[in-house]
Amino acid sequence: MKHEQDNNIPINLVLTVDPDQIQLFSILLRQGFSLEIRMGSSVRDLLCQQIGVSADYLDQRIQTIFLNGKVVDDVNTAVIQQGSTLALSAAMPGLAGATLRRGGAYAAMRSQISHKNNTSGGSAENGTVIIKLFNLVAMELGPMFLEQGIRVNGKNMEFFFQKVPDLFWDGCRAAEIDGISRKVRDMALVEWKNRQVFLKLKIEK
Amino acid sequence: MNKILRINMGDKNGPKAHEEPLGDYAGLGGRGMTSAIISMEVPPLCHPLGKDNKLVIAPGLLSGSHAAQSGRASVGCKSPLTGGIKEANVGGQGAQVLARLGYAAIVLEGKPRDDTLYKVIINKDGVKIVPDNSLKMMGNYDLIDKIKEEFGDTVACISIGPAGEMKMSAASVAFTDMEQRPTRHAGRGGVGAVMGAKCVKVIVLDDTDLPARSPKDPEKFKAANKVFVQGLKKHPITGEGLPSFGTNILTNIINEAGALPTHNFQTGRFDGAGNISGETQSEIMKARGGMVAHGCHKGCVIRCSGIYNDRDGNFFTKRPEYETVWAHGANCGIDDMDAVAELDRMDDDYGLDTIEMGATIGVAMEAGLARFGDAKAAISLLKEVGKGTPLGRILGNGAAVTGKVFGVEKVPVVKGQALPAYDPRSVQGIGVTYATSTMGADHTAGYAVTANVLNVGGSVDPLKPEGQVELSRNLQIATAAIDATGMCLFIAFAVLDQPETFEALVDMIGAFTGQNLTAGDVTELGKKILTFERDFNSRAGFTAKDDRLPDFFKADALPPHNVTFEVKDEDLDQVYNW
Repeated sequence: MKHEQDNNIPINLVLTVDPDQIQLFSILLRQGFSLEIRMGSSVRDLLCQQIGVSADYLDQRIQTIFLNGKVVDDVNTAVIQQGSTLALSAAMPGLAGATLRRGGAYAAMRSQISHKNNTSGGSAENGTVIIKLFNLVAMELGPMFLEQGIRVNGKNMEFFFQKVPDLFWDGCRAAEIDGISRKVRDMALVEWKNRQVFLKLKIEK
Repeated sequence: MNKILRINMGDKNGPKAHEEPLGDYAGLGGRGMTSAIISMEVPPLCHPLGKDNKLVIAPGLLSGSHAAQSGRASVGCKSPLTGGIKEANVGGQGAQVLARLGYAAIVLEGKPRDDTLYKVIINKDGVKIVPDNSLKMMGNYDLIDKIKEEFGDTVACISIGPAGEMKMSAASVAFTDMEQRPTRHAGRGGVGAVMGAKCVKVIVLDDTDLPARSPKDPEKFKAANKVFVQGLKKHPITGEGLPSFGTNILTNIINEAGALPTHNFQTGRFDGAGNISGETQSEIMKARGGMVAHGCHKGCVIRCSGIYNDRDGNFFTKRPEYETVWAHGANCGIDDMDAVAELDRMDDDYGLDTIEMGATIGVAMEAGLARFGDAKAAISLLKEVGKGTPLGRILGNGAAVTGKVFGVEKVPVVKGQALPAYDPRSVQGIGVTYATSTMGADHTAGYAVTANVLNVGGSVDPLKPEGQVELSRNLQIATAAIDATGMCLFIAFAVLDQPETFEALVDMIGAFTGQNLTAGDVTELGKKILTFERDFNSRAGFTAKDDRLPDFFKADALPPHNVTFEVKDEDLDQVYNW
């Protein structure tokens, strides 16, 4: 089933799901999704001011942060640039996990891959950041992001619908593509892979 | 736990057991006990498979008590893989039952007169050593089924598979878990080969009618244990992360850091990491009716293990750990979780170290024996090991031997033992530990008990790169001490972050032993153990040149961050200067 559209314009997909279906979308959060944001802000500003993550949650729960694969120690001085990839995780086990914690006692052990702080604000124009959410952070922040809407790669969306367990279809109550209501199970037939998808969830009890 | 059981397998009248008091070994447990006995009694230049080597199995100081997380045992010997001293640490039921039987250690010694295979049965009435050649070349799973038929479903077993009988240097010693499955392994260093050389197939431990070990101060112990458990449960790693995703929670993170060794350490990122991550693993386990949070021994409250079922919902293997998933997965370019689980199950059945075998297959792939990413080929190679074919014998002796036989230049080993799942170019402090550990490359040699908590060796500026050597030293000291207690190393996170949990641990040990421990005592214990080990290795011929990573870690930049290992040799040589 082909969706005839300009490939540069994302497909707007709205799914209405039961609350217990949300965790099934974690795979999309781990693979990474993009958001339109104001560039040149710090990690803290992006997460707390622009996205709405609480400062307590950032400080206490998000213990492992990567900006373009480099470990962030100071969320106040690490600056988001156009096309940056920001990965967020809870504290991790093991010596490696302890080493990767932001500002941790073992920061010296991975200094070669530490993010060097770039305090210059750069451009304040809008741009795109790729965000990855892992483990407990995906479980806890995932619903907020999914309700706000995330832009995902069509290839990942297609993989999601192909691999999703049968129980998903029972808990997915409605689907809309670009404002037009569609049969839920048809989502597995849509050719998503060459498109970008703006996915938004409506969560209904 | 006031006696040592010695079994001389080479007595002229056949295997003979006798008990002796602890003597000079009083107050030691776990790694402290194994390393002391090996250091004092085993000639460092002996052949690891000969009459003079000994296999020591020791529960931790707190094992057999009601202390949470105290079910770790140490298995020690002169390693056939490294030629140096070895302590392989393991969970499962063995430590608890052995301690309740009153033994601080079992020592297998001497050289059997012939190749008769034995089972050793230990219960409250004593020790029996019974020849049983029907067990020959039996996989661990079939072996334990047979033991269950004979001795029931409450005994704990310590056993070897065919790899141990074939005296392969990657052979492990299996400990049964709470469900009496042989899923927990003293994996590293070829300890299974030494047990095979002693011709002991299985040790059956039966603690029927024996109570838990009593603390000297029961009330104080109970109160401290309660606080300790609360601390573990409330911490995000031990209370949430590990029970939800197991140790494999690390795959996505290490991959994101560019530190996940991929294709035999060629790169630090694996495109298929998401397919074998802890999150994906847990989703598969849940969908198949497996168990996501599960302890490997009674008294475990962290429950990082789990049950991985097959597609039909039947038990297949325990949740493969992060190091296993890395070794058989990313390192070999395999992103099929079921294939990784199958390799894990085969390792457990043959009795093999998953890290060594994954690294070895990676080297074999680099040599052209199989294509990176070819899961079927990896399974076929492992079957060769189980069958003991000439190729299998080469692979079963580890990455170093395999690299040498097939002319591979880039072989990731230190002291002959394969590097685990963190590339030392990205996380250089771990590289220091890999290089200098007495055990060969070992990810558990330096663990996350902070220098600040234990106050080991003064404070270190975390922002200075030169602090890496000092941090590694402090971590190795702390780890050696924890390994002596029988506590699971994963307690470290709660201890690291929560002072009251650390205090509860110290109080618990103090209440159990009747001694008022201080952080300084813990430090001295760690140093004492490392001194035993370092001294043994020195007498075995190890020098500073053995405390080095392979050259390619200095020469080849690791993508995506294009970093090389930069710690200087003269700095590595300072690790043991305390």
